[in-house]
Amino acid sequence: MSKIYGRTAAVRKVSLALQPGRFYVLRGENGAGKSTLLRMIAGLNEPTEGNILIYGLKTRDARQQMGYMAHAPLLYDELSGMENLRFFAQLYGINSDQPLVEAMRRVGLDPKLTRRVGQYSQGMRQRLSLARAIFHSPRLLLLDEPFSNVDPESALAIAKLLAAMRSSGNTILLVTHQIGLLAELADEFILLSHGQLVDRGAMKQGHA
Amino acid sequence: MSLSVTRLTWINVAKDLRLEWRSRDVLNSMLFFSLLVVVIFSFSFSPTAEESRRFVGGLVWTAFLFSTIMALNQSWARELRNGVLDAYRVSPAPPEALFFGKCIGNFLLVLLLECLMSPLFVLFYNLRSIGPYWQLAVIFLLGTWALVVNGTFFAAMSIRTRNRELMLPLLLLPISIPAVVAMVTATTDVLTGELSAVSQMKFLAGYCVIFTTACFLLFETVLNAE
Amino acid sequence: MKSPIFFVLLIITLGLLAWGTYQAIMVAPAEATMGDAQRIFYYHVPAATAASFLFWGNFLASIWYLWKRSPVADALAVAGAEVGVVFFGVVLISGPIWARYAWGTFWVWDARLTTSLVLWLLYVSYLVLRSSSEAGSTSVMAAALAVFAALDMPIVYMSNRWFRTSHPQPMIGTPNLNPEMQHVLLWNMLAFCMFALLIAWFRFELERASQKINALHIQKATQSTMAMTIAPVMLFFVDEKLLHEQMVQHRFMVAGYIAVWTIYIGYLLFLMNKLAKLRKEEAALNVENHVASRSSYV
Repeated sequence: MSKIYGRTAAVRKVSLALQPGRFYVLRGENGAGKSTLLRMIAGLNEPTEGNILIYGLKTRDARQQMGYMAHAPLLYDELSGMENLRFFAQLYGINSDQPLVEAMRRVGLDPKLTRRVGQYSQGMRQRLSLARAIFHSPRLLLLDEPFSNVDPESALAIAKLLAAMRSSGNTILLVTHQIGLLAELADEFILLSHGQLVDRGAMKQGHA
Repeated sequence: MSLSVTRLTWINVAKDLRLEWRSRDVLNSMLFFSLLVVVIFSFSFSPTAEESRRFVGGLVWTAFLFSTIMALNQSWARELRNGVLDAYRVSPAPPEALFFGKCIGNFLLVLLLECLMSPLFVLFYNLRSIGPYWQLAVIFLLGTWALVVNGTFFAAMSIRTRNRELMLPLLLLPISIPAVVAMVTATTDVLTGELSAVSQMKFLAGYCVIFTTACFLLFETVLNAE
Repeated sequence: MKSPIFFVLLIITLGLLAWGTYQAIMVAPAEATMGDAQRIFYYHVPAATAASFLFWGNFLASIWYLWKRSPVADALAVAGAEVGVVFFGVVLISGPIWARYAWGTFWVWDARLTTSLVLWLLYVSYLVLRSSSEAGSTSVMAAALAVFAALDMPIVYMSNRWFRTSHPQPMIGTPNLNPEMQHVLLWNMLAFCMFALLIAWFRFELERASQKINALHIQKATQSTMAMTIAPVMLFFVDEKLLHEQMVQHRFMVAGYIAVWTIYIGYLLFLMNKLAKLRKEEAALNVENHVASRSSYV
């Protein structure tokens, strides 16, 4: 369970408590502070006031339990997919290829592909970035606009994976400013506007 | 699940070397730049072999400084270009491993450049050292580390400034002045054989220890400065 | 609460500056070999002392900031560094003017001068870092740099003492002062340290004002500015009659005074400009914010 109380220039006095095992969508217009809030949870921005607890731990100690997928792919263009994953996996203490191959299969990528990531399509890069977010089986997934600029096939693969993770009890927090595919997958939405928490509640069908 | 700093450092070094190998153009340009620096310096100051021993120390280290700054400026470029630093920060890996990995990678690169430039200096100035060569080797190693460790740290700082490439020398040079004084006088002393360079070597060793510790302690703070 | 104290101190400082300058020029006995040119000493040394205090202040404030992340600490750090650079600039300009007369050369690479120059460079690089870094990261990085600078200082001093002995080492520093000279020096020391403290305080208020655009700070800062600008102008009245003297020694002394006070006034003008900008910013913000909720600014 995560609990946030934070305040920065972009986000003002947001106080949230999230239940484990549920799929949350963080919505709002551009500049509402959604990405900043997500980054605060991921530990990339420090709130000027307040603190963040993830499963009862401070962010620093909870990193092994978190998977973060940013808006940009954050991968080394000059390395291949598996090489990228191998490097990042070692940062999480994973030294065998097994979980990596597994993760790549789940996002629908071929682990034996030797092409450099610089030559991937955007959709493939997003999928690889997602693979990196899940290969250590984190309990909490943080995603920032995972579907933007992505081809429909990749979008579908990502959505299927998220549904699967939701079913196996992971907590998912996803930032987007469109709903589309998520209307059926998500449990709850959280609406931010001008850096403040405006609304939250269960996802209804046809929620635009 | 081993997240030891040493192991991760080597992983970072290996990754950097592999990346460097894949895009060799940067390395080639730097090698050529170093060559040009030596040529221009030798062109501008061309004394006899006797006199040259006295000030070649200053020349050599100025040339090395140029090349070091060139090399350091692009040390974080790859991480920046791909935005990969965020991915590193989100992982449980300690940032010190990232820093030392970078330092060692830069250290090896700069040593390579120095190994290219030194024979050229010897050639152009008809140099022969009167003092022991092993002392020169120690001075080069310690001096290079002193520049590289602070340089990598300040290069990481420069990432968050507007004039990135300009910021690095502005930050690095004032702090390095004592080390440079030691390096230059030590090199001159060894080449001319007049004085012993042992005190300067101890000084450089102390400088390296102090600043390596400072960088180690403060790197995480600087990396996470928003 | 602070304003009245500031003004009382300001009056006292002005009085001390006038008294100290008068003593330095008229009362202190002429030095045997250097005559009036030596009188530069009476503001050169206090400026160095004041700057050292300010840099120490910056170092301590930076450590405090790294530990507690308090904006007050950050404002103190900036004030200390900036005003310290100004006062140290005074040292580095008045020194060579004096040296040119006393030794015939503008500069030597002895331990003390080299250390001073490097210290000044370090703090200039600190200020450059502050001005060109991204908004959120400035304070932290500058504080880290201040720690490095502090580590470097003793090292610079030692390196120069040990490794540059091939150069001539003229004796500078406090010669054996006769008691009258010491007396004058102490008055000037007090005057300039208070002057430095006041300017630093003013700079600190400016920084706090820009940290939270708050009408009160700006008001306080405005009043101080006007007072501070008058102060240096007043002191020129003391020197006027000396401008007619022909002797070279006097010329050096006068040159010293002019150079130094140009620096001080220039810096005060710079601070005034900064203040004007802050007020414009505040005005603009007030127009925007009449819709926003007040609770955000608590």
